[in-house]
Amino acid sequence: MIDLKKALDAGGHCLLEMPSGTGKTVSLLSLIVSYQMFYPEKRKLIYCSRTVPEIEKVLAELQNLMKYRKSRGLNEQFLGFGLTSRKNLCVHSEVSQEKWGKVLDAKCRNLTASWIREKVDLYPREEVSLCDFYEQLDKADTKELLPDGIYTIEELRDYGKENDYCPYYLSRRMIHLANAVVYSYHYLLDPKVAELVSKELSKDCIVVFDEAHNIDNVCIESLSIDLTKPNLDASARSITELSKKIEKIKERDKEKLDEEYTKLVEGLKVASQSRDEDIFMANPVLPDDILKEAVPGNIRKAEHFVTFMRRFIEYLKTRMRAQHVVAESPISFLQHCREVTYIERKPLRFCSQRLISLVRTLELTNLDEYYALHKVAAFATLVATYETGFRLILEPFENDVVPNPIFHYTCLDASIAIKPVFERFKTVVITSGTLSPLDMYPKMLSFTAAVQESYSMTLTRNCFLPLIVTRGSDQVAISSKFEVRNDPAVVRNFGQILVEFSKIVPDGIVAFFPSYLYMESIVSMWHDMGILNEAWKHKLIFMETPDAAETSLALMNYRKACDNGRGAILLSVARGKVSEGIDFDHNYGRAVIMFGVPYQYTESRILKARLEFLREKHKIRESDFLTFDAMRHAAQCVGRVIRGKTDYGLMIFADKRFGRMDKRSKLPKWINQYITETAINLSTDMALVIAKKFLRSMAQPFEHGISLWSLEDIESKYHNNDQNVAKNGFTNRRVSLKD
Amino acid sequence: MSKPSSKSKEFFIDIDDETQNVNQQSGYVWEEEYKRSWDVLQEDEDGSLKRSIDHLQNRLKRKRLLRDTSTIRRGIIRNMFLIIDLSEAMMEKDLRPSRLDLTLSYAEQFILEFFDQNPISQLGIIVSKGGVAERLTGLSGNPMDNIIALKNKKNIDVDGEPSLQNSLELARSSLIHTPTHGSREILLIMGSLTSCDPGDIYESIEDLVKDNVRVSIVGLSAEVQICKYICKRTKGTYGVVLNEAHFKDLLFEIIPPPPVSVAQSNSKLVMMGFPSSVNQSSPYLCACHNKPVTSGYTCARCNSNICDIPTECPICELTLVSSPHLARSYHHLFPVENYTEVPWNSATTTHCFACQISFPSLSERTLPKNLETSSGRYNCQKCNQHFCIDCDVFVHEAIHNCPGCLATSQNNLKSLMGQVNGNFENYENYEKMNLS
Ligand code: SF4
Ligand SMILES: [Zn+2]
Ligand SMILES: [Zn+2]
Ligand SMILES: [Zn+2]
Ligand SMILES: [Zn+2]
Repeated sequence: MIDLKKALDAGGHCLLEMPSGTGKTVSLLSLIVSYQMFYPEKRKLIYCSRTVPEIEKVLAELQNLMKYRKSRGLNEQFLGFGLTSRKNLCVHSEVSQEKWGKVLDAKCRNLTASWIREKVDLYPREEVSLCDFYEQLDKADTKELLPDGIYTIEELRDYGKENDYCPYYLSRRMIHLANAVVYSYHYLLDPKVAELVSKELSKDCIVVFDEAHNIDNVCIESLSIDLTKPNLDASARSITELSKKIEKIKERDKEKLDEEYTKLVEGLKVASQSRDEDIFMANPVLPDDILKEAVPGNIRKAEHFVTFMRRFIEYLKTRMRAQHVVAESPISFLQHCREVTYIERKPLRFCSQRLISLVRTLELTNLDEYYALHKVAAFATLVATYETGFRLILEPFENDVVPNPIFHYTCLDASIAIKPVFERFKTVVITSGTLSPLDMYPKMLSFTAAVQESYSMTLTRNCFLPLIVTRGSDQVAISSKFEVRNDPAVVRNFGQILVEFSKIVPDGIVAFFPSYLYMESIVSMWHDMGILNEAWKHKLIFMETPDAAETSLALMNYRKACDNGRGAILLSVARGKVSEGIDFDHNYGRAVIMFGVPYQYTESRILKARLEFLREKHKIRESDFLTFDAMRHAAQCVGRVIRGKTDYGLMIFADKRFGRMDKRSKLPKWINQYITETAINLSTDMALVIAKKFLRSMAQPFEHGISLWSLEDIESKYHNNDQNVAKNGFTNRRVSLKD
Repeated sequence: MSKPSSKSKEFFIDIDDETQNVNQQSGYVWEEEYKRSWDVLQEDEDGSLKRSIDHLQNRLKRKRLLRDTSTIRRGIIRNMFLIIDLSEAMMEKDLRPSRLDLTLSYAEQFILEFFDQNPISQLGIIVSKGGVAERLTGLSGNPMDNIIALKNKKNIDVDGEPSLQNSLELARSSLIHTPTHGSREILLIMGSLTSCDPGDIYESIEDLVKDNVRVSIVGLSAEVQICKYICKRTKGTYGVVLNEAHFKDLLFEIIPPPPVSVAQSNSKLVMMGFPSSVNQSSPYLCACHNKPVTSGYTCARCNSNICDIPTECPICELTLVSSPHLARSYHHLFPVENYTEVPWNSATTTHCFACQISFPSLSERTLPKNLETSSGRYNCQKCNQHFCIDCDVFVHEAIHNCPGCLATSQNNLKSLMGQVNGNFENYENYEKMNLS
């Protein structure tokens, strides 16, 4: 932790790998909060996590922490809360019923957009419906909106309900007063949202990215867009709609259009005139890359812009008719586009901005209907803005058979999206349970880490046991390698592992496969071999599917079966939803089995493009990256079982390739540390013997509370070592919180 | 399922295994663990391992012994169901000779020991297999009935999965008819890790809690959440066996009666009869089994003939016990305090107070490599006499009286009585009674 403190003092970035489920979050929080409170500047903490439940968890930890500080006699003013979408926060009786986030957003806007609110003055109250919660909020004084304290999302909602404030807008307005804000990555990385919420944050904020092992993918996704045929069709319809509206408005209210035109001539940034909350379709490019000049002449007039867009959509449609895969750079795309349609790069670049302005002028409601058009505009803007680090890929067929053309505009360079974050904030902490090998991330994200450290784990008992099973009981090597993966001997051995472990492991087992396709084919082979029937005797079997609702149902029943003693197996996929963000603590996961090494689908053109890019730009070998990526996912999967001190579980790596040094060395230190020489080359039966022994010894009563450091130790350390208060305060807390 | 054409599209990079040669030692690295067990042992000067082994063994013995000796109320009248899992998982051979055989032989020992230590209690057996539960014997005070039922081959074949819920419900339905002054307990030996239940087991658990049934479970392979929960909720104990010996320890932990829970602690007078024994030359029919017997007891209230005690009179339902039975149960209420280990610096005695075996002398204090041994002396807090480990175990497990304390009180008594009337016979009787 001293490392983190150093980084905070020095104002550098750091990369910390800490074992999951061991109080990582609370350690980070306690140090940072102490630090914040100790220094008069009160640097703001921005904590980014991945999912809503994770955000909630962080807030709960923060609450505990503040309670503890209070019990220690510190009376502090501290405001912290989480930021999330309207869907999770809306308290409006009708709007909040909406299931789809996008529609809900649009409905809310129908009640809160500035031009609608202006109408109230013109028309009698009954005819314009507004959201009361928003109105209340608007009237209130920002300073007194929210008393100090830590609010979880639930509590924020309750607070909003009680006081008739809209919690969503409330949280947004309070950002600059808060000491700690917890939100999802996108609020910082995705330019579409970042602009809204994060632009006012000051430079000395402390930014933490938790569970950040996938941060490169998030960065890439935030700048990538996929267009499909239905998207294009929908946007063509929207365009027609738009032109009709323009016609109408021309008759009625010509001044408005003229006014807009002059504004555009002057090059005023339209968005800045109204309040933040009005921004509904943000610009998809990074703030620095937005051109701050006047919108070019040929799209200034509304009807010109509409025709311009129509032409562009038509162009895309013709491109989509291609029967073969096309991969090209943005430059060549633009060139081709200009040759065919005479569309220049510059106006394309302004597409998003222009669309926003138009929507405002036309006072459009039900913006969700214009979603596709917005996407196309964003696509245009992105293509025209970035040259390097991007690639356009057109895939006319899904799986090479089903015609379903998709235009991928993919970002290959993860550093583009995160660059502003690193530049803007003095301290960015990237942390996760799985960041090994550590030098990969600074390379991919192009930053220099002041501190980069992987922590091992001290355990009161060896509460997890990694086993590498390289062959079946019949000594046939097992592997998910392409050449042998459908070999009945291998499949049978995989099945045998499942059956045998289902016999000896109590309650829940989670099994991970490299992909859905592979899982399906193996499961059907198991079915034919009677292996499933065999496993059924001992545990129920559930499967993850790409469908979210189905999976959560399976998950629920899985949990139930683990609770009532029947026992269950969950078959899931290494990159699926289950592998990220869902914890299998205690009886919900006594063992994780990795069937095969979870390599990415290497035939994917997007991946190929990215590999090529990494090789050229960062000198990262393809195989290195693939192995790295596979192992971080494997580590992520197995890390799901162990969530806290009292927990225990088996980690079974079933593939002979896991036994090799190049794979193992890419596992996080805290896992690697516990892989013994004896456990790297096991056959199924040997693994079973060891596992049985492990489970028996883990079932013995657990003696609690061997704190590694007592209070005295810390105090003496404090005196000798001349560390400052922050450090001392922090470690105290660590000791007491973790018991 | 996916078409072969699309399946073949999916493909994974393979950096080939064979080319990168990892230092492969012999395939059997795992053997290492067992190879070097002798490293733990220490030889003493004359090359003998004995003492260090002794040392380890002593520690083990004591560990088993140290139990709670505070005088708390314990219910010495116990009603217990022993539930044995007879699922296919019991055929595993990870406990020698097999889970099932070991369980049965331990169950037999358990039953004998149980009645030996809790003579006025009752026990019945339930087995569970193929998703159902079956009652082999109802609650009775006769160990032999239970053991015979277990010996019957027909009763102990295995099948399918066990049912936790069914067996708990079955046991509960019998236990709720027992009078409230006795404890209600279930001991479950569970080999399987799964259970086949018809309904919501959590409801059944709440019922058990409501009816004051205490469930203790001994798991044979690994920790199952639901079992842990049941035990916690019903204030029983849950243990998972490490090996054969540990299995026995876990079972036998159940033998001393559990402390009385607050809910059932209102004291009550229980009527009991002390039947007189009869010996007749001509056989007569007993009231309990309708079998001809020649010796037995007659009920103190209704005079019916019973062949064995302790039991409940089949005619008038009076609890029939003999006074030694009561006396034996009695020690659970006033246990002998644990002896404490004597450190070397106060190890002044040379012989065990009870058996006169000589203690190790100070010169044998350390093993090579400065491993500290124990002094081999154990001190009774009350009389301050030192005992050897074997006597310590024997006192606490078998005779339940401290010889040192008795001797002191003996001396007191002797002098006292000698002063008063010099009647030594009286004292002799006293001693007999105490040791019976
Ligand atoms: S303003 Fe707030 S409460 Fe009202 S509809 Fe929008 S999100 Fe819901
Ligand atoms: Zn009889
Ligand atoms: Zn009678
Ligand atoms: Zn002795
Ligand atoms: Zn004594």
